[in-house]
Parts: sequence; structure tokens; C-alpha cells
Amino acid sequence: MMAELNPLSSCRSGLQPYPPTTMFETKKLTKYFGGVCAVNALDLVVGEKEIIGLIGPNGAGKTTVFNLITGFIRPSGGSIVLNGENLVGKKPHTIAERGIARTFQIAKSFPQFTVIQNMAAAGHLFGGAGFWEGIVRTPRYRRKERNIQEHSMRTLSFVGLEAWKDAIAGTLPHAHQKLLGVAMALAAAPKLLLLDEPLEGMSAEEVDRALEIISAIRAQGIAVLLIEHNMRAVMRICDKIVVISFGEEIARGTPEEVKQNDEVIKAYLGAASYAE
Amino acid sequence: MSRKSVANLALVVVALLMPAAARGNEYYLHVYMMCAINTIAAVSLRSIAKTGQMSIGQAGFMAVGAYASSILATKMNLPVYWAMLMGGFASMLLAALIGFPLSRIRTVYFVTVTMFLGEIIRLVAFEWRSVTGGSTGLESIPPPAAFSMGILHVNFANRIYFCYLALFVLLFVILILYNIERSHAGTVLSAIGQEESLSASVGINVASYKVLILCVGCFFTGLAGSLYAHYMTVLNPDAFSIFTSLYVLIYVVVGGRAFAGPIVGAVILTLIPEIFAALKEYQPFVFVLILFLVVFLLPGGLTDLPRRIRESAGRTSAGEAG
Amino acid sequence: MLWQGLMNGLSAGWIYVLVALGLTLVFGIMRTVQFSHGEIYMLGAHTVYYCSVAMGINMIASFGIAAAALFLLGVIIERLLFRRFRGQIEPSIIVAIGLILLFQTVAVIAFGSNEKTVPRLIPGVLTIGEIRIAWDRVLTMCVGAGAMLVLFAFIKGTKLGQAMLASSQDPEAATLQGVNVNHVSAVAMGTGSALAAVAGGLMGSVFTVEPFMGSFAITKGLAVIILGGMGSIGGAVVGGLVLGLVDGVVSLYSSMTMAYIVGFALIVLVLIIRPKGLMGGD
Repeated sequence: MMAELNPLSSCRSGLQPYPPTTMFETKKLTKYFGGVCAVNALDLVVGEKEIIGLIGPNGAGKTTVFNLITGFIRPSGGSIVLNGENLVGKKPHTIAERGIARTFQIAKSFPQFTVIQNMAAAGHLFGGAGFWEGIVRTPRYRRKERNIQEHSMRTLSFVGLEAWKDAIAGTLPHAHQKLLGVAMALAAAPKLLLLDEPLEGMSAEEVDRALEIISAIRAQGIAVLLIEHNMRAVMRICDKIVVISFGEEIARGTPEEVKQNDEVIKAYLGAASYAE
Repeated sequence: MSRKSVANLALVVVALLMPAAARGNEYYLHVYMMCAINTIAAVSLRSIAKTGQMSIGQAGFMAVGAYASSILATKMNLPVYWAMLMGGFASMLLAALIGFPLSRIRTVYFVTVTMFLGEIIRLVAFEWRSVTGGSTGLESIPPPAAFSMGILHVNFANRIYFCYLALFVLLFVILILYNIERSHAGTVLSAIGQEESLSASVGINVASYKVLILCVGCFFTGLAGSLYAHYMTVLNPDAFSIFTSLYVLIYVVVGGRAFAGPIVGAVILTLIPEIFAALKEYQPFVFVLILFLVVFLLPGGLTDLPRRIRESAGRTSAGEAG
Repeated sequence: MLWQGLMNGLSAGWIYVLVALGLTLVFGIMRTVQFSHGEIYMLGAHTVYYCSVAMGINMIASFGIAAAALFLLGVIIERLLFRRFRGQIEPSIIVAIGLILLFQTVAVIAFGSNEKTVPRLIPGVLTIGEIRIAWDRVLTMCVGAGAMLVLFAFIKGTKLGQAMLASSQDPEAATLQGVNVNHVSAVAMGTGSALAAVAGGLMGSVFTVEPFMGSFAITKGLAVIILGGMGSIGGAVVGGLVLGLVDGVVSLYSSMTMAYIVGFALIVLVLIIRPKGLMGGD
């Protein structure tokens, strides 16, 4: 049922299982804003097909980490390595080209475009024609346009938004806007997907559906780094979790390990939220 | 053919016939020429401004094209057709040089910087006597060479041929910019104008696209300047003041966001001063009134009017039915 | 010779400060650049001219009338035109552009486009050693410094002033604390316009008054607030004086156009180096 989403990913299904390679990692990632340390020597590791959760109280610096990884902010120190290449200092669009895509805490889309137009823009890396190519409508150009259209519709179906393709993005209900954000991030055929609170504001059914989609994303060979406050969802879907508070890591491990960690319980008010 | 295509074709035919119809009437031909030149500048500015680069320095780019073309034609004896093209390239070169620094500057500052740029270019034209003739400017700028094609004898001493030249350049500009707009690049440019950081996240090289459209737009704007120079045969810095830049922006705003917007805006606002010629002194008042009416009451511009009328008509009948 | 240039530059600098103060006040509170600020300066100059020359009113009163009249005009345009688009950059800019055209045309029709002179405020020249400064210019510096002090006192000392400060730093928090943003915006626009009017009058007495003098003011004002920091009053003062000094010195050795070009390059440099990136800044 899930359409082939990521033609660029390697297909491992027939091979012997082996431990995930370190596809992506940050080493001692640090960011100071003036005198305030927002992120302090953070080490993250994301292997292929892994879903890693990044959790912590509000203001812990999680979104800052995303901004650092995607190149919107320059780190004060440390490195960000994707498949052996250090991405520090590269511009956001280059990092997207390398294979890192993201969603935003407050869902962003191109407000004047329809959903399918949003996807056409987001599909730029997938196969968008160059600046000059559209001036004369060659068969090659038409082919590229058709490819993007097909790819866009496939991605929309993947997240379940195909019925909304002609709706103006700004008019979508909240949960659909979030899904559109995910679809747009997927349109670039990334290797690593950064999801910033994708489940925020969703009802229980919407959360279940979203988690299915995230699992399906992993099945396509895309690794996920997930910021979320919905603890039950995090525990359900993440392979490993990193807990940060005030920009520093205070715990890491599997969901089981993290649930029982005293530091973590202390950092969060209401240990009851962990009880499954 | 769709209704829209038929309408467009009809307009092109009308535009083609008008200079011929006005043959002999120097005044009408002059107005037609100014409409064409203003429209080229307006259409170019709209494409540039789509990415959020709202420039109030376009007169500067026209000046670069005008002076470059005139100087090449007079002092270097370059054939005028080539000189005019080089005028466009000169303007594009300037855009390329400052485009990258400019692409990183946000709207409010961008407007300021383009204002400064336009003023500096005018000042340079004013002060650099040896090259630009200073405040007196340049004279005896030659028209393009005459030629014959069968029974057609084109001699630019007759204004009508200038009008057709300008029209063909305009149609060419419209064709290129419209095709860019409709293509994937147009989607990207519009995306950049709506949400720049989101565009970067999905892998769009925002700076490159902004600079590219700036270069293309300024090339055409420079061409408009070249046409102006060779048509008027005299040139001085007063023609390229901040007002010229502001007027071009006003054409775009009044016309509206649609591709046809700047065309409608430029034509109507070029005609109005001529229609109200008696009130020549008070003409800026009319401009400002129209501008404020559009900004406050009709934000989508004049080209949005049909849609607004349809919407309120729809509302009224729904109200009656309910 | 150099000192003379510096002195001239200093007096010009205070005029820049007066213009920039108004611009930065409006930007800080309304988050928009009032591009027609230069035209307000021009109208102020014309009001002073009209009052003092055509109607024979004494200079101080003329300046008072000009300040009051343009204060009123500032409040009116804020209420009628800018309020609707508060927070929206592009429409605000377009409205300001419309006002530029409007004010210039009014000035040309009402006052004529020839240059007019306002009588010297204080005749004579102050001589310190080798330096000669016209008393007018000294007065300009005093008025400029005085206006700045009054503004500081107003902002630090009065409730309204404090409200304006709060608004410029954090509009949302200010509203939550009960600050009436409409009120504050109107006063900001009015005050800024009054300052510009005084600056125009001073400049008019040192040079001439004509309908196109506004572009000089807006250019200098914008340069100052970009260099000194948009929204910063201290920046407007420092930036204005620095720019005045630079202009004074550069014009001794080179042409005004060169000064413009150098200033332009400086501004572009400042705008790039300061983090105005996609997700940083305002």
C-alpha cells in the first residue's frame, strides 16, 4: 500500500541484518547566544532507519539544535556530520541537498499556494527544472514537470492528503497543515528527517495515523530525529531517546532505560506522565 | 483556444494596429512609445519584486542602459542595435555585481539600498561630465539604422517604427517573463517571495534565484532605457530621478499581482497624465489618489477588480436567496 | 582647514541627528520606515519660511508653529494612513511613497519650486583661533543637542515616554501592560515629524528652502539609522554626528558624489555583516 517513496535510498530488505551505521552524528555541538549557552556539547547519533527521540522541557534548546543542524544558525563549536561530511558552515539549501529535511514547530507552508503547488515547490530538489529551462517548453522540460507532479501526488497519498491537493494551504485544518509539512519535507527525498513536534495539537486518532506514517517513513529507509512532548508516542515509536535540559544531555538510552532514569524524572514535572 | 488566449491575442492585435492607426499623429505615437517603455520597466519590476525584492531604484538601471547605449553609439560608433543590447547588458552587469550582497538584505533595507543606488547613479551621471555630459547630458543620439525588407522601408526618423520596435521588445519581454512565471522557476520565485526560510529548507538556492531574476529584470529595464535614449535623441540625468523609480513601482502596485497587472497599471497611469493634460500641475494628486484607493480599497490592484465584482455579486445573490 | 571641516560637519551632524531621531522613533514603535520623513522636513522648512518671511512672525515663534503644525500632520497621517497597515512592511512603504509624491506636489503648487532663503537666525560669525563658525551653525548644534536632551527627559521621565520605550522594545508585552499602542504610535509619529520640521527650518536658514530638499534628509536619515541601529535613539545620535563629521571631512577633499558612494558601500557592508540572515534579527 505504501508507495515507493524514496528512489534514492538503498533497499536493505533482502540483506542480512547488521548494526546501523552512523549515518548522522553531532559531536560536541555547542551554541552560545551572547553569554547564554543554549546548546552545550551535544552528541547525537542517528543510524540508518533509526527513529531517535529528542525530548526535554520547554526551552531546553531542542529547536535550536534543529536550527543548527539545518544551517539556519551557525554553531559556536562542534561538528555536524552526515555520511562522513561535516556540514557546519554550509547554507541551508546545501544541507537540504545533502539529504536533511525538516518540519517546523509552527507548521510552515507557502500560504498563497495550493497543496499541490506547495509540493511542486518542495519537490525542487527531486527534479525541478532549472531557471532557464522553462522558457522554452522542450519535451525534456515537460518530462521533469510530469515527474514532479507524479512524485508530489505519491507523497501526498503517502501522508493521506491527496484529496486536499487543490486546497489553499493556509485554509487547511491544523493536523493537515502538519501533515503537509511532513509531505513537503519528504518531497526532497531526504536521508534524515527532522520532525519538530509533529503531533502537537492532534487528536488521539490523528496521533495514531501520524505514528503509522512515521513508521512507514522509516520503512522507506529514512532516519528520523523527533522532537516531541507527547511522551506516550515517543515511547512507542523511538528506538532511542536523548533527553536534554538547558541545552545539555541529561540521559540517553532506550525508552525503557530513559523512563526509569531519576534525572529525567526530576527534570520533568509530573513523573506520572511516564507511567504507561 | 481558451477565452483568455483569445482575449490576449485580440489585445496583441490591437497593440499592433494602433501605431498604424495613429500614423502621422506625432503626439499619439509619443504616448504609445512611452506606454511601451513604461510597461517594459513595470513588467520587469513585478517579476523582480515577486521574490520580495521591492526596488525603488529601477530608474538607475534604465539610466545605465540609456547612457551605456548612447555612449557606445555616439563615441564608439557601434551600430545602434548592438548598442541597445549592450545597454541591457550593462544594466544586467550592475545587477549581477550587487545582486548577491543585495539578496541577503531584508525588504525594508532592500528598499532603502535601491533608493540610494538610484540616486547615486543619477549623481554619477550628473557629475561625470567627461563621459555623460553632466547636467546638460548627451545630444544627437542616433536612431537605429534604417533598412528595407521587400516593400517595407523602415526608417526610424519616422516615430511609427520606433513604436513597433518598442512593441516587439515588449512582446519579447512579456513572452520570456511569462514563460518563466509559468514554469517551475516561477513557482520557486513565488515561493521565495512568500516564505524565504521555508524555501531554503526544501533546498532552493534562494540567493541564486533572487540574483538571476534581478539580472533578467534589469537587463530588460536597461533595454527600456536604451530605447528611451535613442528615441528621445537627447539624454540628461533628470529623466532618471527617484520619481521615475517610484512611478514604476506605482504602476506595478496599481495594476496588481497578476501577470497582466503591470501592463494595465503602466498603460493606464501613462495615459492619465495625458488625458488630464490640462491639469498637468495637479497630475501627481491624481496618481496618489489612485494609489491610495488601490492600496486601501483594492489591495489586489486593478486586475483584481473582476474577481472582486464577481465575489460581491455572488454574495448578493446568495443573500437574496437566503 | 581640517578643523573647519570638522566644525561644519558637526553642525550638519546635529541636523542629521534631528532627522534620524524622528525616523528611529517611528521605526522603533511602528516597525516601519517612514519614507516620507524627508518631505515632512521639507514642509517644516517651508512653514518656517512662510511664517517668518511672508507673515513676519519672529523666528522662535515660526519654529514653534512649524513644530506644532507638523506634529499635527504626523498624528493625522498615522491615524488615517499608517495605522491600517501597522506591522505590514510593504503596504506601509507604498503609503509612504504616495505621501512623498503628495507632499512634494503640494509644496510646488503652494510655494513654488524656486529656492527661497530664510533670514539668518543670528547674524555674524564666532571666531575661535583659526576657526570661523557662523552663529547660525552654533545655534543649530545647540538646538540639536537641546532637542535630544528634551527627548531623553521625556522618555525617561514621563509615563507616555516610558510607554513608548516599552512599545519599541516589546510591543506585545507593552500591550499586556496596558499601553495603548494607537496612542503611542500617534505621539511617536507626531514627535518625529516635529523634530524633522525643526531640522528643516534649521537647514533652511543655513542653506535654502525648496520643495526638493527632502531627498537629502531622508537619504541622510536612513544612512544614520542603518549605521547606528534602527530603533536606537543613542544610535541615531552617535550615527548622526559620525556621519556629519565624515561628510564634513570628505567634502573638503572630494566631491559629494564620492561621499555618497562611500556611504552607500558602507551601508551595504553594515547590512550584510550584521546578522540579517533568514532567521536572525528583528
